Amino acid sequence: MVRSKTPYAFIGLAVTLLVWGSVWGLFYAPAETYMGDVQRIMYVHVPTAWNAMLALTFAFFCAVLSLWRSGMAWDNRLEASLEVGVVLSSLLCMQGAIWAKPTWGVWWDWDPRLTTTAVMVFAFGAILALRQFVEDPIKRATWSAVATVIAFADVPIVYFSVRWWNSLHQLQSSPETVSKAFHWPLRINAFGILFLMIGLISLRTRLAALRREEELAPPLPETAPRRAPIAEGASS
Amino acid sequence: MNTGVIQGGWEFVWAAYAVSATILTGYGLSVFARYRAALRRRFEAGSTVKP
Repeated sequence: MVRSKTPYAFIGLAVTLLVWGSVWGLFYAPAETYMGDVQRIMYVHVPTAWNAMLALTFAFFCAVLSLWRSGMAWDNRLEASLEVGVVLSSLLCMQGAIWAKPTWGVWWDWDPRLTTTAVMVFAFGAILALRQFVEDPIKRATWSAVATVIAFADVPIVYFSVRWWNSLHQLQSSPETVSKAFHWPLRINAFGILFLMIGLISLRTRLAALRREEELAPPLPETAPRRAPIAEGASS
Repeated sequence: MNTGVIQGGWEFVWAAYAVSATILTGYGLSVFARYRAALRRRFEAGSTVKP
């Protein structure tokens, strides 16, 4: 088995971009007219939101493919993207609370965007918990894929909640509604978190594959002779 | 006088960046550590691929 270094390359590139984008956003981008310096939270909050939704959308496609095709490869990807999606969504809620306090005066409000986001975190978190309780890998793959397809219904609701209902949360920004001075740190951090997400999902998929291998492997006989280790990637 | 403009707030900015860095770094290290541990277990179970 040859293990490529691609996930580490993505993570390295992500760290470089995130440092660059954050330094730009913190020290060189101008303060916003009304929100002042607090608006600098946007450079981490918005990229986290985009990529959390992207990770959970990828989880949805993995769930559909896991139900459609046999084998555990898509279930491994599903587990990885669910976990990364839940971490990013939880981080999104924390960043949002920190931004809410100086702008809205409260850490949390049960407005449509925040409520649907909280539902999203708990729904996908519950699927990860469900996976811990099911021992049979086939049943685990099927049940968590079905649950992911159902839970995914909340993701577009989160996105459109600010348009459908009267929300305290602002509408989605676009290049036309965001000042040009704010574009680059936002874009750099968006790609930084995207590459970090890709690297972490790749690495986490490998971990899931190793665990499946452990689960499905027949028990070794007590007296099995141990083979000499060979270098990784050596041709046979 | 209330001008409608938020004054200060750098402590919230630093908090948001610190929380982000801590969670992303912590989660990244956790994935890496669990992956290395799984590779080590597989090697100890008789795999020929070094962790």
